[in-house]
Amino acid sequence: MKRIIVLVAVLALWGCQPEDDTSRLLDDLVVSTNYDTGIDFSDYSTYSIATDTIGFVSNRAPNDTILVESDDHFPRPVLQAVQQNLSALGYTKVGKNDDPDWRINVYVVNDFNISQQVVYPNYYYPSYYGYGSGYGSYYGYPYVNTYTSNTGSLVVEILDLRNVTADNKVKVIWSAYMGDVYSTIDLIKQSEDAINQAFAQSPYIQK
Amino acid sequence: MMKTILVTILALFSICGLTNAQESYAYFSWDINQPLSNTNWINSSSTRGAKFGFRKFIGEERRISAGLDFNWNYFREYKPTETFQSGTGATTTDYFNDIGQIALTANGQYYFPLGNKEHFFPYVGVGLGANRNNYTMSYNIYKDQETAWGFLARPEAGILVRVSSRRRLGLLAAVHYDYSTNKSVQYGYNGFSTIGFQVGAVLIQW
Repeated sequence: MKRIIVLVAVLALWGCQPEDDTSRLLDDLVVSTNYDTGIDFSDYSTYSIATDTIGFVSNRAPNDTILVESDDHFPRPVLQAVQQNLSALGYTKVGKNDDPDWRINVYVVNDFNISQQVVYPNYYYPSYYGYGSGYGSYYGYPYVNTYTSNTGSLVVEILDLRNVTADNKVKVIWSAYMGDVYSTIDLIKQSEDAINQAFAQSPYIQK
Repeated sequence: MMKTILVTILALFSICGLTNAQESYAYFSWDINQPLSNTNWINSSSTRGAKFGFRKFIGEERRISAGLDFNWNYFREYKPTETFQSGTGATTTDYFNDIGQIALTANGQYYFPLGNKEHFFPYVGVGLGANRNNYTMSYNIYKDQETAWGFLARPEAGILVRVSSRRRLGLLAAVHYDYSTNKSVQYGYNGFSTIGFQVGAVLIQW
């Protein structure tokens, strides 16, 4: 009986700690798409896109504004995945000076945060008197905990170059946000899969 | 949340100490629960739960007791990748739905002593108190969260078993139905109810 009681107590203790199995959520990027519902995407035919560079917007390195293929093997496969999807949907890539209907923007948004917290260790009074001046006490030195977080999204946008406003503004008619690109297991493959998913869940993009 | 749990444990054990001379018992149980409401969001049983409490007998014959219970449960369910449509777009992800629950009740029990009235004490009881649910949806590194407090009613039936007259150890097993008024507009809960089974070790004071 004593063993049963011990077993039950152990089970009860086991119930205290939740299982952490959230790492499987990093296998795929979250893919979120939005579009202008007033647009008929089949009215458009051509697009232009960069070949070796993608944009980079970061609060950590405000001077870095692009990712270049020669420095980082990320841009080219990402751009190719976008092109392959658009070609398969019936759109034609043209040069940026060939009057394209769309401009495709691809960039990474990086949000790097550092936060700090001052920790004051607990202090205590001894349970006896007569030590030193009578009331002994101990204070731990405060110390600083530093936390960092680094998150990022890969963004693909379709800009409508056919309807530039009089003050030269261009409307984003479709966007895809895919994250988090800083916690991936296989960045390039997961990014390609995410781009394919972004187009798959946007059936209105069809020539 | 751990701080809340520790403070409550200390408070309950303080009560145990103060009432040492009374006929009473304290227990610590493993608590398994099955959600009954909004099972589209979470339908998986929770084996990650525990409950502890203190109960003091009132009057002669050990027929009636009153006490406090504190419990916590974690419900978790993995949802494979799906696409959520909205008016202007869609989002695709796999995700976890979680509910972290803590509850405190004041309760009363009525016992039906069996045999020599020393070892087996089947009982029925009811607890009334408060319940806090923390609803969390986790996808990739992101989380959406909503916390809701509610009133909790818990009818319960169980049995207290004293191992032997010489030992102050025992076992407790019970089934309970929990209904709480916790609402979550975001996740579609009008209230939260579960059915649970608990088995635990008991420290007996008589």
